[in-house]
Amino acid sequence: MERFLLKNIDSPDSAGIGEYLRTGGYASLKKAFGMEPADIIAEVKAAGLRGRGGAGFPTGMKWDFASRDPKFPKYLICNADEGEPGTFKDRPILEKNPHLLIEGMVISAYALKSERGYIYLRGEYPHARAVLDKAIAEAYEAGFLGGDVAGSGFRFDLSVHQGAGAYICGEETALIDSIEGRRGQPRIKPPFPVNVGAWGKPTVVNNVETLANIPLIVSMGAGRYSEIGNPECPGPKLFSVSCCVERPGVYELPMGIPLREIIYEHAGGVRGGRELKAVIPGGISTPVLTPDVLDCPMDFVNLPKRGSMLGSGAVMVFDDTVCLVRVCWRAMRFFEHESCGKCTPCREGTGWMRNILERMEGGFGRDGDIELLQDIARSIMGKTFCPLGDGAAGVVLGFLRNFSDEFMYHITNKKCLAESG
Amino acid sequence: MIELTINGRKLQARKGMTILDVARENNIYIPHLCWDRRLKPYGGCRLCLVEVEGQRKLMASCSSPAENGMVVHTDTPALRKARKTVLELLLVHHPLDCPICDKAGECSLQDLAYKYGPSQSRFYGERKHDPEATSPLIDRNPNRCILCGRCVRVCWEHQGVGAINLIGRGFKTKVSPAFEETLDCEFCGQCIDACPVGALGAKPYKYRARAWFLESRDSICPYCAVGCTLTLDVREGRILRVRGVDGKGVNRGDLCGKGRFGFDFIYGDSRLTSPLIRTDGELKEVSWEEALHYVAGRLKAIKEEHGPDAIGAIGSPRTTLEDNYMLARFMREAVGTDNLDTSARLGYAWVLKGVEETYGIRLNPVRLDSPVGKDAVLVIESDITSTHPIFGLKFLEAKLNGSRLLVVEPRKTKLARHASAWLRIRPGTSTAFLNGLVRYALAGGVHLKKEITTEGLEELQESVKDYTPQRVSEMTGIAEDDFTEAAREFITAESRLLAMTVSAAENQKGIETVRAAANLLMLLGEGPEALQIPADYSNTYGAWLMGVRPLGKGRDLYGMLYSPGAVRALYVMGEDPLVTMPDADRIEEALKGLDLLIVQDIRMSETAKLADVILPAASWAEKEGTFMNAEGLPQPVPKVVAATGDSIADWMILRNLARLMGHDLGSMDLETLQDEISGLPPETGTQRWRFAPSDWRLKEGPDAEYPVVLVTGNIMQHSGALSVMSKSLSHVLSDAFVQISPEDAAKFGVEDGGFIRIVSRRDSVFIKARVSDEIPEGMLFVPVHFAHARVNALTFASPDGTAHLTAVRLEPKA
Ligand SMILES: Cc1cc2nc3c(=O)[nH]c(=O)nc-3n(C[C@H](O)[C@H](O)[C@H](O)COP(=O)(O)O)c2cc1C
Ligand code: SF4
Ligand code: SF4
Ligand code: SF4
Ligand code: FES
Repeated sequence: MERFLLKNIDSPDSAGIGEYLRTGGYASLKKAFGMEPADIIAEVKAAGLRGRGGAGFPTGMKWDFASRDPKFPKYLICNADEGEPGTFKDRPILEKNPHLLIEGMVISAYALKSERGYIYLRGEYPHARAVLDKAIAEAYEAGFLGGDVAGSGFRFDLSVHQGAGAYICGEETALIDSIEGRRGQPRIKPPFPVNVGAWGKPTVVNNVETLANIPLIVSMGAGRYSEIGNPECPGPKLFSVSCCVERPGVYELPMGIPLREIIYEHAGGVRGGRELKAVIPGGISTPVLTPDVLDCPMDFVNLPKRGSMLGSGAVMVFDDTVCLVRVCWRAMRFFEHESCGKCTPCREGTGWMRNILERMEGGFGRDGDIELLQDIARSIMGKTFCPLGDGAAGVVLGFLRNFSDEFMYHITNKKCLAESG
Repeated sequence: MIELTINGRKLQARKGMTILDVARENNIYIPHLCWDRRLKPYGGCRLCLVEVEGQRKLMASCSSPAENGMVVHTDTPALRKARKTVLELLLVHHPLDCPICDKAGECSLQDLAYKYGPSQSRFYGERKHDPEATSPLIDRNPNRCILCGRCVRVCWEHQGVGAINLIGRGFKTKVSPAFEETLDCEFCGQCIDACPVGALGAKPYKYRARAWFLESRDSICPYCAVGCTLTLDVREGRILRVRGVDGKGVNRGDLCGKGRFGFDFIYGDSRLTSPLIRTDGELKEVSWEEALHYVAGRLKAIKEEHGPDAIGAIGSPRTTLEDNYMLARFMREAVGTDNLDTSARLGYAWVLKGVEETYGIRLNPVRLDSPVGKDAVLVIESDITSTHPIFGLKFLEAKLNGSRLLVVEPRKTKLARHASAWLRIRPGTSTAFLNGLVRYALAGGVHLKKEITTEGLEELQESVKDYTPQRVSEMTGIAEDDFTEAAREFITAESRLLAMTVSAAENQKGIETVRAAANLLMLLGEGPEALQIPADYSNTYGAWLMGVRPLGKGRDLYGMLYSPGAVRALYVMGEDPLVTMPDADRIEEALKGLDLLIVQDIRMSETAKLADVILPAASWAEKEGTFMNAEGLPQPVPKVVAATGDSIADWMILRNLARLMGHDLGSMDLETLQDEISGLPPETGTQRWRFAPSDWRLKEGPDAEYPVVLVTGNIMQHSGALSVMSKSLSHVLSDAFVQISPEDAAKFGVEDGGFIRIVSRRDSVFIKARVSDEIPEGMLFVPVHFAHARVNALTFASPDGTAHLTAVRLEPKA
């Protein structure tokens, strides 16, 4: 497929404004200034763009809510926290194509009548920080940011706010708390950020990739854009593929591409030609799947039908040498470590689940542990304050649904199925 | 109106209510741990989950708005399971040290665990074992903490302090002051009441009693005029603890540190246990009979020889209505004089006089919730969150609800920190500021909504003509722009309020300030309810109403205490003029010149040390009576514990004494006394507005010789005689000190914690200095109630009611 989001990244200067302009960059911005803000929002709606941060919320609808709120100023925040294991799809945009993001943000801000934007960047992305700072300086210099963007009279200021290493700060309301200088913990919704966000003002939080799609929609028009990929949720999609594949990396492919194609055609198949055992399709907080779903289209509509989610589009592939009890335990260590501590089920429950998984993995599992795990996970599911806790429970339930034999083996034989096989 | 169904009952709700609010209003029980009526919903504990038909997930009722047509279930098998799991989760890491936890028996976690059945111990988790953290009054045991966040939120959202926060993440989260230092806060102890478990406790109560052995009685706080309801927990005849109970009293369960921790003044070392008579210069214990015969005999003799007007009395803003009423009757009937007054003369009396001169009314009680909902709230040189802490919270609440809070204040007080605009004024100049506002409004700088019909407009105009913004700026030190901005904001607001305090303890405001404030409000068409000046102590207002003041030609406080030789005998009830009133040297001279000084008190006060006869009075909680708060609300104060030693209630002493003087005041038990009091004619007056021009000049401005101004006042943890007797409050602070700005400290060579001599035109004192950036250059602030510091030797009284700001110089101790 033609690449849109990662168009130039193979060129050594792809991050510079010169290269970006040379290949048609900032043309969408000029086109956008010829449109009414409301028309841009209508175009994004018509394009059917759904948020790439994980939840898949329709972007046009989110913008509509924010622009209908009479309060000013409004804020635009780019969520570049990218902290979930397996997810690194925003990174090539941030490091190799930052001007696409900036252009997307300026257009979005113009549509939303926002004069102030922030990029909330993952703390562990120092290189991206340097690239972004440089790109923002270039954009100011070139007049694409600042008091009079491209001579349109529109004002937009943008800066980077770097996180301090907490996964929860990727959740949009915790992110806003963090930007405001508080302890990052999710807030109660409603009110939603589109009405009461940063400093109490209407705030749109969008993922890096979501915002990078905006110049495309403006330049192509909703009609042509929605021809890419699955018409129900169209557009290009970045997949970060990792673990047991020949060519791990980020692939830009049309939304709805079958899982099989991603693994076997693009990522070079399972490492060493081994047998595929399990796939996590959308990042560590999406439930694991068995190889019989390889033909499932990778998008927001089809994966839920198979008991998982597209999430961030982080495909994690496990071959027959991998112990899934270990994977599940490692995942839970992550959730326990990253639980913000606000709500009881997640704060206390992740620790327990980790505890039980740890004893299983170490060969000290007991009869009834599987049922116990299942029971805690079900008690957490749907009862936590934010989706982090749900994710933690969902992961356990996914593994137990599809691979309970392997867990059972661990308890009875006190060792790994994978290692004994 | 919203209609919804909960457990099959059709219910109505108002917009903005949560499901939990509706359930509570209709007595439907939903368990909760992190919810607190005063705070924004948090949604952390997940116990309050409910089922809403049509919703995929269970919803947290504390944080889900009630919506039209909702069908809610609060008790289903699924919910019971979910709640049980939450409790189970909370209990895994809990130390379960209930046998040695002071909260046992009143712990929400314990109660809920009991209700939802025992945990099956399916999990075992490592118990937490963080060390306990202790501070002067508040102990923290992090192991029992269930991280509901209520303490943190009450401290920040409600108290406006922010001394503690959650630190760390996930399971390792804990409640702590910044950088895990020792807690050093206001010690209101609100976090203790907010904590549903035993993770926070009042240190003085630690290991004192099991909750189920306590007997609880409600009473009224003996400190300030807010009149908070305290719940006293008593065991074996001793008060062990004070709590606020959610929803109870004018305070609705909120308490400040004085109310919560200060009750132990009644167990102070200086309590009097027996009558004392001075013979040959020594105070000797005597029987009540002997003491009263002696007093009656001496009073009669003085009256016969010099007439009744040679005798005077000082009443008390801290004893009950009954006590003060009896004192008034005793003086008028048994002695036959009108020489009678209280410390209100130095403060609250000027408020009432000012109100009468302007609005024409005799009384102007405050309304504690008055700030909430006003567009603009102007606070004039008053640290209300310290002097009237729970009234002060209402100003923070108003701000939180969208009021513009304009604070005119030299010190960086809590209100100044939370203000929408803080105008840092030169101390003692707020009258000029207010006159400036009057002139600004009159000069047509802004449009006045109402026509001015009040009498005396011309004089008013004339009196303020020099208070141009520029002049006001010169006088007050407030930048001209800031002044006009604030003026415009206050004058154009849709609804407004002006608040301050005027008290014997303070010396920067006086009757001119009250007049100027009333003039401004009348000009804007605001009635007296827009002027909120609370009485100061628990019964200041009541003592005034009981007629403890000259009603005819009698001598007032100035005429008795500041006019040596004016009276020959003085009866002082529950007051310590030598410590609480200005110009101590002058008072001492007057007291020493008396033929007879009778002091009736609960403790050996500084004034008592000069007395010829000392009569021990039963204290608050040791006798029954009534306090009247700043709202004019009479509230019963019960007898909860036995009186100390031989002490008896003030009113009984006076009744008995009257009999001995041949004047039976009637049979007079408490009931007849209270009947008589409630039969008193109401103190009314009809409003008749009249401008009362207010002149402003500093009586004793700073000059070359005395370049710094000394401001006196009360602080959060202490206010006069009682609090310094409290061991708990003295833990926080027991040393007299003066606050000085870093600039002046540098200029005068003063070190933080070092001693300095402060010299005024009257006297000098040695006192410890605390360098504080809360204080502006050119000002010292000193709390007045520490007897040993005798800072009131520096100050002076002004019988005309003007502010008696004092100029001083500093001499660092060499
Ligand atoms: C625990 C948690 C972590 C999240 N982390 C990220 C993240 O790193 N980046 C991101 O874009 N969205 C993240 N999200 C999703 C955001 O809350 C939000 O939905 C998203 O930024 C919205 O942007 P979109 O509509 O463009 O997808 C996270 C959500 C949760 C619950
Ligand atoms: S589920 Fe609860 S504890 Fe976990 S991250 Fe979200 S709010 Fe925090
Ligand atoms: S100390 Fe008490 S009030 Fe504070 S978070 Fe812990 S349990 Fe809640
Ligand atoms: S505000 Fe006043 S009445 Fe209330 S507890 Fe504090 S001192 Fe007592
Ligand atoms: S009371 Fe609702 S979540 Fe705690």
